[in-house]
Amino acid sequence: MSGENTVREIGHDEFDPYGTLALILIYFAILSVMWVFMYFVEFLGNDLTVLA
Amino acid sequence: MNIHNYEKLWLVLAMVMIIGFISTVVYGATAVGIEMVNDEGGTIDSTALEEDDRFAEPRVERVGDNEYEAYVVARQFIFEPDPIEIPANSTLTFYVTSPDVIHGFEVVGTNANAMVIPGEVTELTVELNEPGEYGILCNEYCGGGHHTMEGKLIVQPEDEFEQGGNDE
Repeated sequence: MSGENTVREIGHDEFDPYGTLALILIYFAILSVMWVFMYFVEFLGNDLTVLA
Repeated sequence: MNIHNYEKLWLVLAMVMIIGFISTVVYGATAVGIEMVNDEGGTIDSTALEEDDRFAEPRVERVGDNEYEAYVVARQFIFEPDPIEIPANSTLTFYVTSPDVIHGFEVVGTNANAMVIPGEVTELTVELNEPGEYGILCNEYCGGGHHTMEGKLIVQPEDEFEQGGNDE
């Protein structure tokens, strides 16, 4: 893959996509918060709930 | 196969999240006691509701201390009885059935929401702790008057509740 235009060549484990990692962590955090809100506040808080 | 550390990290996080989702639902079903509406209510001959003890005369019946049962007939385009009256701090089990077409039975703005199918009895139990008034509506299109099909659930303060009409 190394051609004339290659500036720097790095191995598989040296490539660290911080940006992608940060985005995914933010995405997971949003999902968790939304799930907690949806289940515990919107659903469980929405009495009357079917209990039998 | 060479998997990057970050990729391992978000695979693991995704798994943890799935386990989290499942455990919250398990928590709801066990600790909180949330149930799904199922076929427990059994079947009934929808052409002969008047021969059934429960539905011949749709009503609310007291079956124990703070325990009530409401036998509700959902038909084009009313709910019987209407209103359903109950004292606060009670447990109410609805038995709902239909003599004509599929209806919905939704206590508006709550999780008490089920389908009413001719030939089946829909059974759902809820707890009513605070006095108040709820609307009941049909949320399955059932014909020309569907949009007018509604009822009321009135939860009265315990001391104001009259037993009248329930112990005949």
